Amino acid sequence: MGMAAVVRSARPVVCYRPVTLPASRPLSTLALALIPRAVALNLALGAVVGALKLPVYLDSVGTILVAVLAGPWAGIVTGIVSNSVLGLLVSPTLFAFIPVTVVIGALAGVAGRLGAFRTLAGSLAAGLVIGIAAALASAVIVIALMGGLTASGTGLLTIAIRATFGVSVTSAAKIAAVVTDAMDKPLSCALVYLVLERLPRRITARFRGAAA
Amino acid sequence: MSAALDRWNPITPLAVAVAMVVAAFAGPQPWTAALVLAIALAAAYAFGAGGRVLRLAALVALPTFALLVLLAAAFPDAPAAHRRWVPTEAAVMDALAIALRLGAAIASLGVVIAGVPPRRLTRALAARGLPAWAAYLVIASLEAVPDARRGADEVLDAQRCRGVAVGRGTGLRGRLRALPALAGPLVVGLVVESEERALALDARGFDPRARRTALVPIADARGERWLRAAIWLALVVLLGWRLVALVRSFTIAA
Repeated sequence: MGMAAVVRSARPVVCYRPVTLPASRPLSTLALALIPRAVALNLALGAVVGALKLPVYLDSVGTILVAVLAGPWAGIVTGIVSNSVLGLLVSPTLFAFIPVTVVIGALAGVAGRLGAFRTLAGSLAAGLVIGIAAALASAVIVIALMGGLTASGTGLLTIAIRATFGVSVTSAAKIAAVVTDAMDKPLSCALVYLVLERLPRRITARFRGAAA
Repeated sequence: MSAALDRWNPITPLAVAVAMVVAAFAGPQPWTAALVLAIALAAAYAFGAGGRVLRLAALVALPTFALLVLLAAAFPDAPAAHRRWVPTEAAVMDALAIALRLGAAIASLGVVIAGVPPRRLTRALAARGLPAWAAYLVIASLEAVPDARRGADEVLDAQRCRGVAVGRGTGLRGRLRALPALAGPLVVGLVVESEERALALDARGFDPRARRTALVPIADARGERWLRAAIWLALVVLLGWRLVALVRSFTIAA
């Protein structure tokens, strides 16, 4: 068979599947790449808080950061993945608090879309709202699963509130959660604001482009 | 520990653990929770992770029990108000039920956590339909945690060398002022790094919706599939029974 016949009888073969990105994606690639680092950040900031001996957790900074940069859905996903991974690495108790991280991610994303993180005052206000909502969600879980007390400083605070004000355990648990989160979340949001100020404009612009 | 559970498809121990958690909460209290806790601890010791699982469960269950009893003793309800610091039997049983439920749930899930490597569990879930993007997020997060911890230690050391005051002697305001100097570089570094990772994902044509093909598929024997089906069926029956009991109690009360 001559060369011309070989060429004529050859059939086209596609060796590699063409890469076609879906038209609409739930999360941009940039958000997908950022979320694992944000999850790790939620855990790693514990070392910084421990070194500074601060009476806060700062375990939602990564979730809030992703929510503000990439939107509420990305924030919700970060919260779910964060507590799932921490549940696997630290304690299964954290699985029960996944709804709290969902609330934090959703509200931080909405606050980011509304422009709350453009100023420090706006960030602190957003942190207060997120803190109160997260505290109420957390208190419902603590009351349902643990009888209103956690094996932590918040549990002791609940007893102290019950002793001081004579309120029921349910109310004391809610007040303790609000007090704790009302300190933690505004500080987390202020930290996110400071980070956003320091981020290269190129990166924030990429997030805005991906969200559009 | 992992060798003992490696013979199973990771979803099977996970299904057993979920069933035990549901049983601990839905069954008669506190004996079902006590039984589930005993089974979970026995399994943990049999698989060689008894110490770790016992520690995980005890760290939450014991302080919760102690705090609940303390609360009931210090602030008794009105009928028992004259017996302060002596908790009633009902209060102790309530505290015991809550602590046992928590302990049972933690121990049941703890066996899976201690016995199944998270990466293997995620691969098994991906084979059962977990989206590629979710599997990527879990595995990448597990890999990112040690790097971020190392990064936090490096930033702490670097800022201490530059004279940033850290520790109790500096006062709360001083420590709060040091927070951006310590946390800022860590957070900014992780965001910048994620941009490079995104470029790498795009360059490889990562499709978050694509179904992944496993190089080494995880075996899923027919016996295990039947066992899981039986577990799900038993769970439905248990929850149905609890629902009927709940509706009956409301009907009687009305």
